Amino acid sequence: MSAMHQLPTVTPFFADKQQLLSEILGRYPDYGQRSALMPLLWEVQRAERHVSEARVAEIAEILGLHATEVKGAMSFYGTYHEHPVGRYHLQVCRTLSCALAGADEMADFLEDELDLVNGETDAEGRFSLQFVECLGSCGTAPVLQVNDTYFERVSRSRCRALVDAMRRDALPEPTRERGGDNEAADPAAAAEGGAT
Amino acid sequence: MKVTVNGTVLDLASGTSAIDAVFAAGFDVPYFCSQEYMSPIGACRMCLAKVGAPRKDRDGSWIVDDETGEPKIFHFPTMMATCTTAIMEGMVIDTLSQDVKDAQNGMVEFTLINHPLDCPVCDKGGACELQDRAYEYGTGRSRFAFDKRHQEKHHPLSDLITLDRERCIHCKRCVRYFEEVPGDEVLDFIDRGGHTYIGTLEDGLPSNFTGNITDICPVGALLDATSRFRGRNWEYDHTFTTSLDDASGSAIVVDARTGRIERVKSGLNPEVNKSWIDDGIRFGHEYVDHADRVRRPLLRKGERFETVSWDEAAAFIAERLRGLSGKDVGIAVRADATLEEGVAARALAEHLGTGQVDHAPRHGRTLVPVHGATLVDVATADAIIVLGDVSEELPALDLRIKDALKGVTPPPLLPHGVPIADLRLKERMPRASERLTVVAAYRVDLMRHAGHTVTVPVGGEATWLEAMTAVAHGERVDEAALAMSRADAEALIASWRDADKAVMILGGFVLASAAATAAADALGKAVGARQVRVPPMANGLGLEVTGVLPSHARYDYRHMLAGGARALLLSGLDPAQDPALAERLRGCELLVVHDMFMTATAEIAHVVLPAASGFEKDGTTLSLEGRYLPVRAAPVDGGEARDLTGVVKSLGEAFGQRLEGRSVRSARRVLRKQLGFEPSELDRLGLLQPLPKVRASVTVTTDEEATGEALRVPTMVRPEYLAYNPHLRAALGDPALRLHPDDAAERDLRTGDGVTVSVDGVPRRLRVVVSDAAPRGVPLVPATPDAPVGRAVVDLDALEVDRRALEVA
Repeated sequence: MSAMHQLPTVTPFFADKQQLLSEILGRYPDYGQRSALMPLLWEVQRAERHVSEARVAEIAEILGLHATEVKGAMSFYGTYHEHPVGRYHLQVCRTLSCALAGADEMADFLEDELDLVNGETDAEGRFSLQFVECLGSCGTAPVLQVNDTYFERVSRSRCRALVDAMRRDALPEPTRERGGDNEAADPAAAAEGGAT
Repeated sequence: MKVTVNGTVLDLASGTSAIDAVFAAGFDVPYFCSQEYMSPIGACRMCLAKVGAPRKDRDGSWIVDDETGEPKIFHFPTMMATCTTAIMEGMVIDTLSQDVKDAQNGMVEFTLINHPLDCPVCDKGGACELQDRAYEYGTGRSRFAFDKRHQEKHHPLSDLITLDRERCIHCKRCVRYFEEVPGDEVLDFIDRGGHTYIGTLEDGLPSNFTGNITDICPVGALLDATSRFRGRNWEYDHTFTTSLDDASGSAIVVDARTGRIERVKSGLNPEVNKSWIDDGIRFGHEYVDHADRVRRPLLRKGERFETVSWDEAAAFIAERLRGLSGKDVGIAVRADATLEEGVAARALAEHLGTGQVDHAPRHGRTLVPVHGATLVDVATADAIIVLGDVSEELPALDLRIKDALKGVTPPPLLPHGVPIADLRLKERMPRASERLTVVAAYRVDLMRHAGHTVTVPVGGEATWLEAMTAVAHGERVDEAALAMSRADAEALIASWRDADKAVMILGGFVLASAAATAAADALGKAVGARQVRVPPMANGLGLEVTGVLPSHARYDYRHMLAGGARALLLSGLDPAQDPALAERLRGCELLVVHDMFMTATAEIAHVVLPAASGFEKDGTTLSLEGRYLPVRAAPVDGGEARDLTGVVKSLGEAFGQRLEGRSVRSARRVLRKQLGFEPSELDRLGLLQPLPKVRASVTVTTDEEATGEALRVPTMVRPEYLAYNPHLRAALGDPALRLHPDDAAERDLRTGDGVTVSVDGVPRRLRVVVSDAAPRGVPLVPATPDAPVGRAVVDLDALEVDRRALEVA
């Protein structure tokens, strides 16, 4: 009945990434091209720290879907964001193990320290705070995920040091603990982590 | 398969769902998410039942219960959603035990956790599936003492549909509807879990079929904005009738209250419109109650009209006719008149002794194809060739074509009607788009769903059809005329020939041209395709086969207007929009206009008679597939408005004659003899009958060769009533003049500009819509009953801009 919602013209995200695009689309058979939805959303999210409506429309165009369909899938997942998240996206696990080990105190500390509440990003675009469900590192609770990195057994002092470091744009090596998920992957870091 | 439902043994076809088994056995089970024509998904969990089945041993024998010696029934460990469970041999379904009752109570309680208790102000109150089910299957009390979820109460999904997000119970019917029925997923669940809501990124739900979601919403979440807050369900008179908006014969329910139509809903006719209607039918009814309607007969006294009684008006007409020879009288009815009105027109013509009787708009060719196809044939076809823009011309066809692409044949009816859960239907079914070929002179909506699309030049349908026929016969042909390579054309023709059921749909653009119709017949014969011819208006086919036609081609409507008649009775037609014709009609000795509004022709008439709308008359209509359907009057206050039988009654009294079509009843006596059945006994589903042949000498008229590079295109919404349909007009704006971006840019025109433009010499006020659906140099203007689908002359350089749209800084 009426034309598509008019969006401001922006350079398409995949305009200069044709190779990446065909690589992603090539993973799926012709009849299942719509399956490329998730990796495409993820590419945009990783590069731009959010997926704007223009990008939603672009992905819909690529896959021959309606923008609503893309939005429906995207909004199901907490990992995609409508608005840009800060350079340091702090994700506080508050599920049982972390909650018992003091995740609420960590959350309170971060809220006070950063003057943010759950779901907010500061004006500068440096920090975003988000409460999330289980990060799967219950053995080293409480866990704080900064962007893609886990910081484990985050005590108050570690948390303060971490925030200070991020304010200087110097994200430290992750604190790693015995029994944590990272132990086997990187024993050297695990050993060192205990001494930090 | 043998199935036992609460002790009742049934024999049902394999593939039946358990919920249908329950209903077939005469029991009830509550459900929200299932809908007859959509995939069962088991989203609402309301239809839970205890289900069990016997099991076979490794040696293939049934495992037997030692105590009874019968096959042992193994129950599923949990309750099953019966809508997604297919029946099995020997299945036992229990919907009455305490366990099932507890489960149903639990689900009602769960569904009501966040559902607001605003039933007293909810439009759905009294007709709400949730309300009914909560009474029947709930405990009547809630243990949920917390705050309910609060969401937006009045979210406009479009100008015509309002969503109350608090009332939504997430049954997903509306979301599935858009993907499965019109095939456009413009509505979706946004977010997750308890926060889920229905939303869209598309501006105003771009589809011709949005209103249907208000019918299928089981609660009051999705509401038709035109009927919101207008009345309670139990106050409405529900009239089950047939829409005269187009020739589909779509079943509708007209809800009227205190003499007004408050709402039009979709009716159910499994072989015609299923349970879907387009937005033009649903929202385009407000003109019926418009203040500007002519409600009493008007008689010209000098420059003014005077309100008179029907008797006075009839006496005046009879007096004037006395001084004229009968042959000088012309009678023309609009092609959405009922068959009974057609009888009245014929009876009047016969009494006056004139052969000048006709219906309009009418193509110069018969609407009866040699090998006709029904709507079910379309829905089950495996090759469809569409010539024209059926999505706008006859939207019901659009949906039946999309059914055919899914390849699921209509389900056999069960004792309780259409199966509630057809397990063959799935979400996001693959569509065999290669079955569909769409040919038009501009980009039509159905092309998005078609495997093959052909854009022909304006008026190029005949050339293309002839070229394809030549290919079918193995003759030499210019590839340019095919708009594709010869190899592609041969492959396409082979696919039509190999199809078990090929159907060709001829829209107005083809039927407007003698050459194109002949070429379509030839191609249809060459590939063995049946035909659907789209009538220009609701009952065009019926008026043709019952003979509301001139006694000779030279007495047709066009010739009447051109000077063949000195006295004219026009029902629903408005030729005087054309200044040249208006001048000619002013010279008539008698001009009688039977219409609902003061049209340009009514303004110059001697007598204006108030006409009943399609919602106010009883009658019979013949749909495009040859199905006779009943039209029933809703209790609408139309003042002294009458249909044409009422006009003939008054005139007959003035002549001192009892004419045959003086009432619907007397007209039906004529129809019964002519058609061989009793029209008053037609049921809602109608009667499909083979079409009689019509004498070609009267149906075939010589057209003036159509010229012009512009096109009058069909529109779902009737432009002639748009000014009287406030909600629809506010949503859609004035009738659109669609222009190619380059044509618009050259003249500095933007979308929304109001313009006056001459279409074949008739000034039309239109709203510019810049759209690349229009080819360069081909403006698209909406067709009207007085200027039907076809080629037109539009001079864009002589266009006047009335006003600029509001500009947002």
